[in-house]
Amino acid sequence: MGIKKFIKRAKEILGLEDEKKESKKKSLKRLLKKLIKRKREICTMLKDKKSKELQEELDIVSLQIKKGKKILHELYKSN
Amino acid sequence: MFRTILLLILLVALSYGFWLSPDFKEISAGVAIFLFGMFSLEEGFKSFSGGTLERVLQKSTDKTYKSIGFGILSTTIMQSSSLVSVLTISFLGAGLIGLGQGIGIIFGANIGTTTGAWLVAGLGLKVNIASYAMPMLVFGVILIFQKQKSIKGIGYILAGLGFLFLGIAYMKSGFEAFKASIDLASFAVVGLKGLFIFTGIGIFATVVMQSSHATLVLIITALSSGQISYENALALAIGANIGTTIAAIIGAMGSNIVGKQLAGAHLIFNGITGLIAISSISYLMMGVDYISIYLGIADDDYSLKLALFHTIFNLIGVIVMIPFISKMVVFLEYILKDKVTSNRGFDSAKYLNDSVLELSSTAISSILKETKHLYDNVFEIIAHGINTKRQNIISDKSIDETIKDKYSKEKVDIDEFYNHKIKGIYGEIIEFSTKAQSTTISNEDIERLYSLKLACRGMVEAVKDTKHLQKNLIKYSNSTNRHIQKEYNLIRQGIAELLRSIYIISRTKEEDVVLLLLSKSKVNMEKYDILSNGTLDRLIRADSISDEMATSLMNDSSYAYDISKNLISTAEVIFGDVENLGMAMSKEDIDLILDKKDN
Repeated sequence: MGIKKFIKRAKEILGLEDEKKESKKKSLKRLLKKLIKRKREICTMLKDKKSKELQEELDIVSLQIKKGKKILHELYKSN
Repeated sequence: MFRTILLLILLVALSYGFWLSPDFKEISAGVAIFLFGMFSLEEGFKSFSGGTLERVLQKSTDKTYKSIGFGILSTTIMQSSSLVSVLTISFLGAGLIGLGQGIGIIFGANIGTTTGAWLVAGLGLKVNIASYAMPMLVFGVILIFQKQKSIKGIGYILAGLGFLFLGIAYMKSGFEAFKASIDLASFAVVGLKGLFIFTGIGIFATVVMQSSHATLVLIITALSSGQISYENALALAIGANIGTTIAAIIGAMGSNIVGKQLAGAHLIFNGITGLIAISSISYLMMGVDYISIYLGIADDDYSLKLALFHTIFNLIGVIVMIPFISKMVVFLEYILKDKVTSNRGFDSAKYLNDSVLELSSTAISSILKETKHLYDNVFEIIAHGINTKRQNIISDKSIDETIKDKYSKEKVDIDEFYNHKIKGIYGEIIEFSTKAQSTTISNEDIERLYSLKLACRGMVEAVKDTKHLQKNLIKYSNSTNRHIQKEYNLIRQGIAELLRSIYIISRTKEEDVVLLLLSKSKVNMEKYDILSNGTLDRLIRADSISDEMATSLMNDSSYAYDISKNLISTAEVIFGDVENLGMAMSKEDIDLILDKKDN
């Protein structure tokens, strides 16, 4: 086993590397869950009443969800 | 001076001892190797302090029993109560744990340190541990030369354990050989006199070696080779426990107030425990004999009996002292207070002290807290600079009402505010960050430090821009020209709204709220920029404002834009995790939202 492989194995065993990535994944998932819930709420509110502010908030939330999903996907891909 | 003289005396005495006896030289070398092993072990565990250790510590110290448990476990694993103390002081200094929790950890560490005696008495003396030491040292040193911090850390731990084992082996063989030339047991003193004399020797030895663990190993090896009597060994163990607090006090002399308070708690705890042990030594010995039968410890296995005694009297100490932790906190905070120097209105850093420099994470945590402290002052200055009341901004009042309720009719002296409430703290943060950067710190931490320094610079720039903005703000927000008045009040409103959003961000724990408020603020900053949204052109074309007013408005809206930009960047760094998650809104994202709006 090469030294690099040995270091990688040791890190895996000790869980030194993955811990940060895992916690980032967890935080992102939690954030996405909240954003999706908020998006649903805004959509319901917009059905009842049209509002510029709400529409802007919906645009922001939608953009953030898209962004978050992309980051999460990249995190899973790098594993 | 006193320390230098003491050191010289010690060196001369040791040299004389080496010349007199080669066996003494071997024992001393054993102690030196053992202590070096402890340093190496500490160094190794410190390299793992970049997150895991801190997270465990924070999660496992919220209740007294948990902090005691953490103290026991961490000291058992790391075999160094002094490292646990250093970590605890560092966490206290950074304000991550309270004194009560810190005391709990120290109580636990006192129990945890007794496992060392069990290991040496139960394993170290019965197995040829030197044979295990050699491969550990070889592997350890190879790993130490590796570049990666974690691998280096493993190397230090392995080498540390190797040195510990080797040190014990040297002490053991030294005492065996020593026995043939001088029988120290003939100097045994019985009764109360012996108890006090040997307690004193235990204290002295621990102060000199700065480690009760090393003293205890020395006692056990001497006891196993019959060089000291069992009764005297018990007294030495009590002395080692008291001596370690003196070592802690010496160490805390250069430390900050929390370090001193913790050393005080250590002294009280070990002092009382020592007194209990001395006053009830015969009962304790009977208790040890009684429990030894149940544990299957042979009647003449004094090394294991000593380990048991050490555990029992520390356990008793903890049980007796637990109900008094909160009283100890009150007492120590009363007698050991930070010297408050009168600064005549000059605010200074609250969270920066050298004890937190022990760990990169505590250093960064302190700098973050201090940056938040700086932000509080910046918030106040900017709120007053745009002629609003701080209390209104953080209240439920509408922004319209907040704008109407003015702070002052006169201009606020922002320079004076800056000199009193910003300059000092800003300077201290920059100086401290440089210090923190010169310690062992990861690239990730360097980046974090850099972003914190940038945040501070951004805040200072925001204050300076507020000073420039203020000149016309008071003049035109009261102007008879309703167009210019409206625009200047819109500037005030935009900044007040942003300050309120950041205030909410600083208080909430909901990540989605933080993200949305920051994103909205960024969108608003671009949306309300009168240069890009065409407002200024419209006003000039319609001849609603004079040339002078137009120039002022153009400059001032640029100041307002920069203030907002700097405040949002600061909030992203110090209050939101959005930057770490990569969720911060980019310029392209904002344009996308604004384009949607236009269509």
